[in-house]
Amino acid sequence: MATETPPAPAPPRTLRAGELGTPQYRRLFGAGREVTIHWVTFLVTAALVLAAVVPILYQSIRNQPLYAAGGAFTLSNYVHLFTEAEFGTIILNTLLFAVLTTVFALAIAVPMAILLERTRFPAARLFGQVLRWPIYISPLVLAFGWIVVYGPAGFLTSTVREAMGWVPWNLYTLPGMAFVEAVAQVPVAYLFCANALAASDTSLENAARSVGAGPVRVLRSVVIPMLRPPVLYAGLLIFGTAVETLSIPLILGGPAELTLFSSFLYEQGIDAVSPDYGLLGAASTFMLVTTVGLVIVQARLLKQAQRFVSVRGKAARSNLLDLGGWKWVGFAFVGVYVVFGALLPMIALVLRAFTSLLTPLVNPLKLLTLDNFRLIFSYAPYTESITNSITVAFIGAVAVTVFGTVVVLVARRSDFRLARLLETAAQSPHAVPGLIIGIGFFWAFAWMPGGDAVRGTLFALVIAFGLRALPSAYGAISPATMQLGSELDNAARVAGADWWRTVSRILIRLLVPAMLASFLLIWTQMIREYAPAMFLAGAESQVIGTTAIDLWTQGETGSVAALATLQIAVTAVVAGLAGLLLKGRKEKNNA
Amino acid sequence: MPELVVENLKKSFAGNAVLEDINFTVADGEFFTLLGPSGCGKSTTLACVAGLEHPESGTIRVGDQVFFDGDPRSAVPPEGRNLGLVFQSYALWPHMTIAGNLALPLKLRKVSGPEQKRLIDEALDKVDMLHLRDRYPHQLSGGQQQRVALARGIVYAPGVLLLDEPLSNLDAKMRDQARIWLKSLQREVGITTVYVTHDQVEAMSLSDRIAVFMHGRLQQVGTPTEIYETPATPEVAGFIGRCNLLEGRVDEAPAEGSTVRVELGSTGQHLKVVRTQDVREGQSATVGLRSERITLSHRADVAGDGVNVLRARIKQCSYTGARFEYQLSVGDLDIHAESTVRHEGEEISLLIRPEDCLLYPATV
Repeated sequence: MATETPPAPAPPRTLRAGELGTPQYRRLFGAGREVTIHWVTFLVTAALVLAAVVPILYQSIRNQPLYAAGGAFTLSNYVHLFTEAEFGTIILNTLLFAVLTTVFALAIAVPMAILLERTRFPAARLFGQVLRWPIYISPLVLAFGWIVVYGPAGFLTSTVREAMGWVPWNLYTLPGMAFVEAVAQVPVAYLFCANALAASDTSLENAARSVGAGPVRVLRSVVIPMLRPPVLYAGLLIFGTAVETLSIPLILGGPAELTLFSSFLYEQGIDAVSPDYGLLGAASTFMLVTTVGLVIVQARLLKQAQRFVSVRGKAARSNLLDLGGWKWVGFAFVGVYVVFGALLPMIALVLRAFTSLLTPLVNPLKLLTLDNFRLIFSYAPYTESITNSITVAFIGAVAVTVFGTVVVLVARRSDFRLARLLETAAQSPHAVPGLIIGIGFFWAFAWMPGGDAVRGTLFALVIAFGLRALPSAYGAISPATMQLGSELDNAARVAGADWWRTVSRILIRLLVPAMLASFLLIWTQMIREYAPAMFLAGAESQVIGTTAIDLWTQGETGSVAALATLQIAVTAVVAGLAGLLLKGRKEKNNA
Repeated sequence: MPELVVENLKKSFAGNAVLEDINFTVADGEFFTLLGPSGCGKSTTLACVAGLEHPESGTIRVGDQVFFDGDPRSAVPPEGRNLGLVFQSYALWPHMTIAGNLALPLKLRKVSGPEQKRLIDEALDKVDMLHLRDRYPHQLSGGQQQRVALARGIVYAPGVLLLDEPLSNLDAKMRDQARIWLKSLQREVGITTVYVTHDQVEAMSLSDRIAVFMHGRLQQVGTPTEIYETPATPEVAGFIGRCNLLEGRVDEAPAEGSTVRVELGSTGQHLKVVRTQDVREGQSATVGLRSERITLSHRADVAGDGVNVLRARIKQCSYTGARFEYQLSVGDLDIHAESTVRHEGEEISLLIRPEDCLLYPATV
């Protein structure tokens, strides 16, 4: 450590202290420009959320369509809704469906999480990966796959009927529907429990071992009770999703004449010849109140649950429990689920896409055809729906990721007075079902002057899908900002950067990996999104999901399978590319 | 560059006063240290000066430029203060090279390209880091990062340099070296510096003046010598160095005398103390006594004229290499003393000069 520096070859001149002064920034409306940025971010977020919700609330208390002249305040819509002959049955069906879905999903996911995370299990890592991927597949596609295999004319149904003379299952019942929905939700419950188990302290189990508890006793007395918070939380999440989901009630419930709340909204709003807007508004409000209530309970629980989490850094994963012979019972359980629940329907769906008929009676290889794809590509609106989905997902994922990043930075890294409110607003669309967002924006565009120009365009879809995806972007980016110490911002501020310069020069650059992850997440979410489009999409702005439902109602099973296959392929390609990109960045940084 | 003035700073958090009546002035070119235990408010004060936090009331200015005048809404934002700040964690921006880190403040000030390069090289040369200008922060050791952080803090010649415990993440040996190096760098650059630390050795060896913080209040501002030799309060005396604080009562305070006599607790023993403060007979007082200023002896008669002699018992003696540390008791009072000599036995005499005793009358 030299304490003297050799005399430099006389530099032109050393600066006097303070000589350079401070950078000058343009001021807007008499304040720093960050004030404008903060308010614009807040107002845009608030306007989007309100645009989705307020028209519904307003319509529910008007006796005329809200865009029509005249009309007065009324409560008759609610009276009408609650005295609707079917209303009781619908509520009961929805409740039963949601409860059964939750029970099935948890009954499958929780034991699997324990087996794979906490016991010596053959190929645990492989199974863990396979269990996650249904997240990337839309419940709609999964439902099609299940019908192809287990429907009345399904591949396995026919096989079993041939062999035994009868079939022990029927998809077109509430338990059948709930089971399919449960399969779509298993990854959610699995991830919650597996993450909780991975983060929990193994020394608690070791302590139980040290006082003489055997492996099964440890599972029963320590591991399972510790899982209560994630199980409860995942259960509520699944319950909420089951209440709002449209795909399975529509595809399976329709033929069985089982009306659930979401399919009731669909019938009232789209199928009806002259929709009763007041009734639709009241029903939407009722649904909204239910989902918002569920989300509030979830938030409360999550806050409480955090007190139970026992995180001690990286837990050593060396002492997994050995179940001995029981291990093979577990293996059979997980294997049967993976093969028959997830893999078989997907394989059958892809196979169906390339055949004219899928039946155990004929070798599928003899029925190979591209006709299913030909139908899609021969009719422009069908083809367009694919490009539309890709366009909307791409533009939406970029826009939501960029906007979400700004929202996170304003909410978390600024002195904006309404930061907390902005955070709540950005997360609130989580509580609004896709169908409701569609109805809300549909009315908002009808109401707004000039809104007609937007309604039915892809832009409207980007807005509606985007709002629905905003909480996911927030959730993907917000934790990454917590990894960045506030000194990084402070150092930039003191060095002369104003808030926006600090964000653009420092924080956004450091958030690039999180933004890429967010982009991928939003993209996979948007490519399979369709519920808001049921109301919003015009003839030229159909998406894959709406076209699939359209084709399904026409009985074009093969083309639906082809469309689903294309959707899976596109998702896989983008996920693969993004994976490579993320990996490349990581390697570059490690070099 | 004009002086930094902090007046009547006040700040509370959830009803608890974090800062109370903070006043100090840092002269041009001065090395000024805010010293105190953790949670005393020194870092909060620095953050207020930097504009990263706002006090509730008070004034902060550099020369004529008022940064804060009691209203957070009219406070000058950090980027408008032209200060340099070095963090304990260095806070180098990880996505930029070393040169890039130094370039940002210059770019923001619209300095031309060639001039940027000259200033960056000059600043990196000052901290001996020129050879690493194109590396990334994660490729540097802690000590190197710390030097780069300092270079980033001075490259744009800010009005005042603020250092927030910049050495506390270094290991002990590196810290000693960095201290010597930092001092010579500050002298060379001549920049007004406010330094925050909880380490009294750093504060004593680096500073022109020290401000001692405790419980959100400024206890004393003075040169290192003043702080050590004449601490303003018993708390300061106890915090800086090792100091025994003995409770007693003034039992003789002759009007014309230069010393007073203090009876130590209920021990029946007395200390003559130089009358540095105005005291009355019968008043309670605390006597501060530095451990290294106590001479231990087995013979009481070696004491010179006017030197106090206390009879003490040795409770424990520990060897620390350079010296012996003694735990002693005088009656029911515990006293800590240091000596280079090993004393055996139980009974011992403590020789104490009146001018080594610090007198603090109890405030009523």
